[in-house]
Parts: sequence; C-alpha cells; structure tokens
Amino acid sequence: MLQSSSTVKSQHCICYVDEDLFTLSFSAASKIIDESCAIDAIFFATSTPVFKERYHASFMADLLGLKQGIFAMDIISTARAGTDALLLADKLVNAGQYKNILLIAANVDFAAIGDENQSSGHAAMAMVISTEKGLAEISSSESFSSSFAEEFYYKGQKTVYDLRFSRSAGFKANIENAWIKTAPQNGKFGGIIINSPYARMILGIMKKSGFDTDKQLLKDNVKSMVGNTAACHALLLLISAIENCNGSVLLFDYMNGTNVISLKIKSKPDIPKLANLEFINIESYHDYLKLRKQGDFTDINYRHQEMFSSEMMMEREKGRLLYLMADECTKCHSVFLIKIARCNHCHGKEFFEKKLQRKGTVYTLTSELYFPSSFPPINMIVIDIDGGGRLTLQQTDDLYSTEENKIKIGDRVELVYRKMIENDSKPNYFWKCIKI
Amino acid sequence: MHKDMKKKRDIAIIGVGQTAFGELFQYSYDDLVREAATLAMKDAGVGAEEIQAAWLSTAFPEIGVYKGRSGMDLSEPLGIFGIPITRVSNFCASGADAIRNAANALAAGECDVAMALGVEKLRDRSPQDSIVKMMVELTHPFYQKGFTAAGTFAVYANRIMHEYGVTREDLANISVKNHFHGTMNEKAHYRACCTLDQVLSSPMVSFPLTVMDSCPTTDGAACVIMIRAEDVDKSKHKPIYIDGIGLSVSTGWDLPFFDSRQKFLSFQANRDAAAMAYKQAGITKPMDEIDLVEIHDCFSIVELITYEDLGFCKVGEAKDLIRGKVTTLGGELPVNVSGGLLSCGHPVGATGVRMVVEVATHLRDKAGARQVKGAKRGLTHNIGGPGAIASVIILNNEH
Repeated sequence: MLQSSSTVKSQHCICYVDEDLFTLSFSAASKIIDESCAIDAIFFATSTPVFKERYHASFMADLLGLKQGIFAMDIISTARAGTDALLLADKLVNAGQYKNILLIAANVDFAAIGDENQSSGHAAMAMVISTEKGLAEISSSESFSSSFAEEFYYKGQKTVYDLRFSRSAGFKANIENAWIKTAPQNGKFGGIIINSPYARMILGIMKKSGFDTDKQLLKDNVKSMVGNTAACHALLLLISAIENCNGSVLLFDYMNGTNVISLKIKSKPDIPKLANLEFINIESYHDYLKLRKQGDFTDINYRHQEMFSSEMMMEREKGRLLYLMADECTKCHSVFLIKIARCNHCHGKEFFEKKLQRKGTVYTLTSELYFPSSFPPINMIVIDIDGGGRLTLQQTDDLYSTEENKIKIGDRVELVYRKMIENDSKPNYFWKCIKI
Repeated sequence: MHKDMKKKRDIAIIGVGQTAFGELFQYSYDDLVREAATLAMKDAGVGAEEIQAAWLSTAFPEIGVYKGRSGMDLSEPLGIFGIPITRVSNFCASGADAIRNAANALAAGECDVAMALGVEKLRDRSPQDSIVKMMVELTHPFYQKGFTAAGTFAVYANRIMHEYGVTREDLANISVKNHFHGTMNEKAHYRACCTLDQVLSSPMVSFPLTVMDSCPTTDGAACVIMIRAEDVDKSKHKPIYIDGIGLSVSTGWDLPFFDSRQKFLSFQANRDAAAMAYKQAGITKPMDEIDLVEIHDCFSIVELITYEDLGFCKVGEAKDLIRGKVTTLGGELPVNVSGGLLSCGHPVGATGVRMVVEVATHLRDKAGARQVKGAKRGLTHNIGGPGAIASVIILNNEH
C-alpha cells in the first residue's frame, strides 16, 4: 500500500499503479484459502464496483480457482455492503445452507484531483464464515433498516443533508433504535465499535446507558492508517478488534440503517494482519498523479496504444496463465509453462501436469528502462520456481528503488497477481513478483 | 539436436549489391530494393529477365512501412513478373534464410538463376514506434511483457557475468572494436570511433546493455545473385562458393523464459546451425579454418556468446578473445570488420544478406582499408528471436 504524506490531516492509502479492486481482493483472499479449504459460496462487497452488469464475486471465484458453479453474489454500492454480506453469510451458515463462505470486501476509490482530503483509502479484506471453529464466533447479527440516508449519490452528484437535520432525523433515531434493542447485553462487551461518520453523536446515549466510553469504545485505527475504506471499513475494524481485544465485541455499522454484530473472540491470528501493514510514502504530487493515472503514463516518449489482448485467450489458456499449470517431462523432469508436444531437452512425449508454486529464486534478471512505464525501470526477473519450473516476470511494488527491494541473482521472490498494462480498458492480469 | 543437413549441389554467388545503411529518409522501400538489386545484377552480369526465382526477406512490415508482406513487394519495384517470388520471414535470420531458400531451389533444379534480396525500412518511424512497439503491443499479452529486445539478451549478459567473470568492460570493448571497424566501411550507419568510457556512460537500455552496446534500427537493402557452381563461367563471373548453410530453430519466442533448463549461457540454435554448416563444409577446427567472421552483434553480449557457440574458444573463455584483441582486424580471427550491426545498423531483413555481401567482398579481395588479407574462407552468422533461430553460412573463394 502507498501512503500519501502530502495531506497530513487525512493521510490515506492508495494502491500501486498495477493494483485495483481485484488484485487487492485476490491478494487478501489468496492468503486465507488454499486447496484444502472447501469454499462453497463467495460474497463480494464493495461500494466501488469495477463492472456493471458483471458479477465481481464470480470473477473472483474464477481468479481464486474455486469450484465451478459456486454460489457467488455481489453486494455492492452501499457503505454497509461489507457487514450486509457478513450478516447474510452468518445466517446462511447457521441455516446449514453453506459450510464455508468466503467474504471479500474491497474499496478502491479516488477522490477528485484537488479534493484528496476526503481521505478515501484503498483496501481489501477477506474472511471465511464457517461452521468450523475459527478466530471469532458471531453471537448475534441483526440489521435495522431505515429509509433515511444522510449522504448519497443521485444522478452522479453527491447529496449531503444538513448536518443538524441528519443528526436528529437520521443518525439519532436510527442508532437509538438499534442501541435500545441490543442495550440489555451491551454491558458485557469489552469493546464497542461505532462505524459511522457521526460516531461521536452516540457517546451521550452510551453514557446514559451506563457505558464507559473511554474504555469500551474502540478507536478507529484503520482510518488513521489507511483512510476511510467504505464498504470494507467496518469489517477491517472487526479484524482490528479480533487482533487487539479479548472477550466480546459489539459492532455498529451505521449508514442509512444499522447492522449490529456481536462477536466472541476465540483466539488470535498467528501474525496480526493490520498491525503488520507496510506503507511506502509517496514522495511527490507528480508521483501521486501518475499513480492516479492522470496525464502521461510514461516517462519515455512513447505513444501508447492498446496492447493486443484477447478474452478468448484468457479463457482458453486459463490453466497456464492464471493457475500456473505447467507440464513436467516424465523422463527428464524439465518443466515448461509453454505447451509443447515434445520435450525440448530429451524429446520425451509424456508429461505430468504440474502446478507451479508461488515462490522461487532469482536465476537472472535485467532492468528495462525503455519499456513504457509510469515508474521505470521495469525489472524483468527470471525465476527458478521452488519445486521446479521457470517463470520470467516483472518485479512490482518497486515505486522507489531501495536496498530492500533491489533484486539480484539468488534472491528469493514471491508471485503476486497484478494488472499488466496500466491504462488498459479491460481487466488484464498476470503474475509479477516481489522480493521477500 | 540438429539433423544432418546435406548439401546436394554446390552453389555459387556471382553478384552482390548493397545500399548504404542508415537513416535513408530520401529513399523509399522500393528505391532500396531497386538499388541493391541493380548493383547485384550488374555485378553478376545478368539482366532482370534472366532471374528465374527470387526470395524477398523483410522481417517486420508491420513496424516498418507495411511493405514486404509478400513477394509482390520485390516484383513490383523491379518490374519482374511471371516468376516465383516468395517472402521469407524468420526474424533476424530472415536474410540468411532467403539465401538458403534460393540455394535449395538451385540445388533442386527449380531454377538456374536466383535472387535473394533483403530489405527493411524502419527509420520512417521512431525506434519507440518500431521495435519497442512490437514488444509492447504486438506480442503475447503476458509472456515476456516488460522486455525490450535488448532485455531478452541482457538476461544472458547478467547470468554470464555472474558465472564467468565477464565484465561490463568486456562487453563495451566489443562495441569499441566494431565501431572502429565501422569507420572503414563507407556503407555503415555509424562511422565514428568510440571509447570504452563512451560506451559505458551512454544511456542504459537494459542493464548491463547501454545504447552503445545496442545496434540501431536502420534502413537498407542487400542482394545476392546465385547460380549452381557447375554453371559458373569464370571468364564472366567472380564467384564465391557456399561451402555450407545451417539454419536451426532450436527454441521458441517465449519458451526460453518458461523452460526450467534454459541456462542463459549459450544459444542452442547457434550450436545447431554451426554443426550443420561445419559438417557440410568439412570444418573441424573453426578457429584455424576460417579467416573472417560476421557475427550478429545486435547487442554486444551476442557476439561474446557466439564466440563460444561457434567453437572459437572454450566455454567461459570468450572474454579472453576480446581482451587479447584476437577478433580485431589484424588479429587471428577478425570478427565484424564491416563494423557489425553495432556500426552498420540493422535493417533486419537485409542484415543476413549484407553479411554475405561483406564476406564475399573480402574473399574477392575488394574490401579496401578493412580487407582481411589473404582471406579464403569466411562465415556469416545471424540469430533471430530471443536466440531461438540461428543461421550459419560458410563462404569460400575456391571450389
């Protein structure tokens, strides 16, 4: 993640030039699922959808190699999309409809140029809601509806009601409704999360109910680190609570109604995710604009045209291009990602199918200064994949060259899934690598 | 491994012609075809009406001026119609492959007089709009994406530097040598000496290869007229004989970068093509039996690797040939006395033919200041794609 240091008051993160809603989501989800994880449904929540008329959840299921025909559902365009999805998943799992539901929530939104103080942060999170034992157990989950929305978009324009009107007619009435219905149990909670732009307004109500807001109200550390991540913000706050709190946590996710979720924290993750987020400070506004894909994309005098790409190719060659299914010669064990009828080394004609691993060692490399890029050079890395196989991929996450990200022969690298050409007009993803 | 390619009948080159190489803004594709062909036909003493078959080599019509997509683009400017003319495209080995096809047709008896002509018109566009554009937009959307042409060879350079102690100075000295040679070639794109420091400090293209480790894109054409050796009339012709031709496609465009056994220390295509050509020519000790060599130095590292692949030294010792000036004019085995691609430039389809013209000129003792004295047998080498295709042609002034 990249962090803009130019707006100190509202620091926020934006993703790298080859990242987007899907690559962030892929990165989050692929860390928590593996082949042994029998995901039988997937929900995708976002308020910044990439597609219209195309399912994000289905697209993600394909990227992640989940079972064909899986139940996939988008919950999009609302700020509560993340907890909406969690509520639904919880109820479906409890009803015995599904055993392991993968929930992905993501937000990649750019404030208008010159209006970056809105501190919209880019982020994605993934969790599995399961009947199996996990990090936390959902004790109860409820949704309280309201027709009143303090701010929303209408015909592309943002509408914000008068704050005093919003506070009295909207927030206060709505949250009180949710609060009163859950209040009898509230005292038991070690931490309470209020995800709302109007959160401070509820403090009085909480105090009247006998709560110690200084101790029980959890601070929004996600906003201060990453920015407002909209549809996935409440879920990131839940993750933060799981990492940092003990006992039970109550979440109020308020916007045009309220979702209330109570959690019992069972155990801690081996490696806290939020606490270990790494950021790179963006050094100039010029770089920020390039990351925003404003103006010239490249530093080289190159008139960019759309590169050749084919949906049919992607579908046809998905096994190789996406799932890294290669061929291993049964005789000499040479491994080829490119399909060939005969081994180029021993002329054997029999091959095993081999799924390449996602880590390896650098065999050779070069730095390309003339391939069009917003941030040259593009480093091309030839990788000996652990367990066999060879890939040649771009390095990424190398906005600024440092000793930490400089790759040399013998270094260890890990594969990540990213956009290939920065300003293409449709999803165009392949593997790149980062130093580990 | 290569198959044993057998030379059925001996072939002679009786006419050679070449345009100047460079930024030829004043000449069209057709002008270049006409000039090279006219010079070659005049040298051979044959008229256009005597050409019975022709092969046209243009590698990249789509990044040039959209000419050279078929044999029509040779027949039209020359006014030669009613004979078979075929366009040959085999990346940087296209020119050599045109000659190979012409030789095979002569050997098969399909024709008695054949023309092989290579031409490329790349400078009507900026380099970023030609070769770079090809790598960015016209190739597989994912495989190798991020490479320029230089980069596909730079990964060899970095591994070789890692394994064999080759230095950036060794590579740069190849450029220094070839630019020195190029000062003596009136048809070279660049005719200026350069220093080691100039090569090293020129803009980096793809580490460790700088601009001056890299050949330019160029306009130019070259042509040869060929007949069977048995038809040579020594009172009329000054023939140069083809002792052997090898051409091998030994890997693919993308395959080397996704093949677990690719070592990036050698080009298998070089070794396969050389083995074919050496066998036909009866060469067992190339260092002793060849007098001059034109190597496809599109990038300095390629010349270094090819020394080993063609058997001029042991593996890992190529740097010693450069350090000992063995391959400089006056050395034991002069390489690229034309100036090579680094100095002559690289009109892709024309380069292989241009090399044959160069070696033939030396074997006729007509190369002027850069003449390799007493040269009797010479070799041309091309490599195409990312080291996937190679051609080796052995020429002799005796039959």
